[in-house]
Amino acid sequence: MSEQIEVTALVEAVAAFLKSIEGELSGRSAFHAKVAANALSIVARELAQAPRAAEQAALAGYLGHAAGLDALRAELCGRLRAGQLTPETPGLLEALSAAVIAKVAVDNPRYATLARMQGL
Amino acid sequence: MVNGSTKLLTPGWPVTDPTPEAVAAVLTRAVACDVSVARVAALSGGAASATYAVDAQRDGLPWPLVLQCAAAGDVADGALPKADQAALQSLAGRHGIPVAEIVAVLRPEDGLGEGFVMARIAGEALAPKWLKSDDYAAARTVLTSQCARVLARLHAVPLVSVAGLALPGGRTGAARARMFALYRSFSVNSPVFDLAFAWLAERCGDAEAAAIVHGDFRSGNFIIDATGLAAVLDWELAHLGEGAEDLGWLCANAWRFGVWQKPVGGFGEREALYDAYAAAGGAQVDRARAHMWEVWGTLRWGLACLQLGHDHVSGRVRSVERAAIGRRVSEVELDLLHLIRFGDI
Repeated sequence: MSEQIEVTALVEAVAAFLKSIEGELSGRSAFHAKVAANALSIVARELAQAPRAAEQAALAGYLGHAAGLDALRAELCGRLRAGQLTPETPGLLEALSAAVIAKVAVDNPRYATLARMQGL
Repeated sequence: MVNGSTKLLTPGWPVTDPTPEAVAAVLTRAVACDVSVARVAALSGGAASATYAVDAQRDGLPWPLVLQCAAAGDVADGALPKADQAALQSLAGRHGIPVAEIVAVLRPEDGLGEGFVMARIAGEALAPKWLKSDDYAAARTVLTSQCARVLARLHAVPLVSVAGLALPGGRTGAARARMFALYRSFSVNSPVFDLAFAWLAERCGDAEAAAIVHGDFRSGNFIIDATGLAAVLDWELAHLGEGAEDLGWLCANAWRFGVWQKPVGGFGEREALYDAYAAAGGAQVDRARAHMWEVWGTLRWGLACLQLGHDHVSGRVRSVERAAIGRRVSEVELDLLHLIRFGDI
């Protein structure tokens, strides 16, 4: 390993710390500590799964050219706003589904719609 | 649990909690009785308003109340002024809709901002509890028809009776344009949201407002007791529009709290809702129209997620909770895609 403490190790350390003080917190702090721990889980999954790369591949594949993710998103949004793309445009819904599935798998892997969309 | 206790927890509010003495003065003005207030306890606060449980006594008898107030001038753009919200809630009560009775409306000289005091309704306000606990199984079986009846009654209230209230709203097309402007104000590019806006533009039309819409009629805004719907809360997003908007919002996936197989708020079926709505005097529900409003409501929840994330990013309300809710945008995008591809969720 090139780095003694990889970012994943830092995330795990902070998550363990939050868990260790859980019993000392109450009310709003306890609630926010839970939310914070959940946010760290998102970070850990994003590091492991690289959803931005998956989204970029799906959008670039659909548009037929490579670009950064932000540029791809902006291009799709611009073409939808201009009416050059519509919900009926062949392949668009499928490409967007692939992109969003990768995001939800990171943000909330237990979300029921995710399993329904993956099963298609 | 009591009225209004499921709002976001927010640091920064309240700046100062109302004192029992200040609340007692409001109550004394409202009723010609011997009034005392033992305790005013914060239940929760949104960004611009807060809710308190008030333990009062009236002629020596317990008088459980709720105070809802916003810092003066802090009522959000497009939201109903608190006094008008109280007036609408009372009007709904007179039309047979279960609501908490309004006891007093705050005045500037009270020094408590804008707001009102209402009865505290016994029952469960936490939707995840009443949706899942066996204690509320009987309540859930009657809830769909009760919701349908409430909405049918509300949507039948003649608009002339709210002519004096500052209810926002208007044509459907203008409402879509306002929602799109809100989306663009966050400078976020979500291809799915743009797709949904395009989908809505093809379908929403530009109908004139024909009804009072509650605007936030969902599982999280009910008080439920053993017999079902004890009170409909949170009238602050009421506006003029199309009644079916309330039906669509009630069916948005976010309000099912994981009970996604029950499209009506996590407790009921769409056809039962539509049939009961028509039977209670509401209009016959056009299925395509109801679907359009479900997409609309789902997108609206997505914009709320963006707004909450934006609160954090912009520094308006720094909060790990708001930052985390910003990451729920992807759930909404997936629901929108399912709705648009397959006609339901």
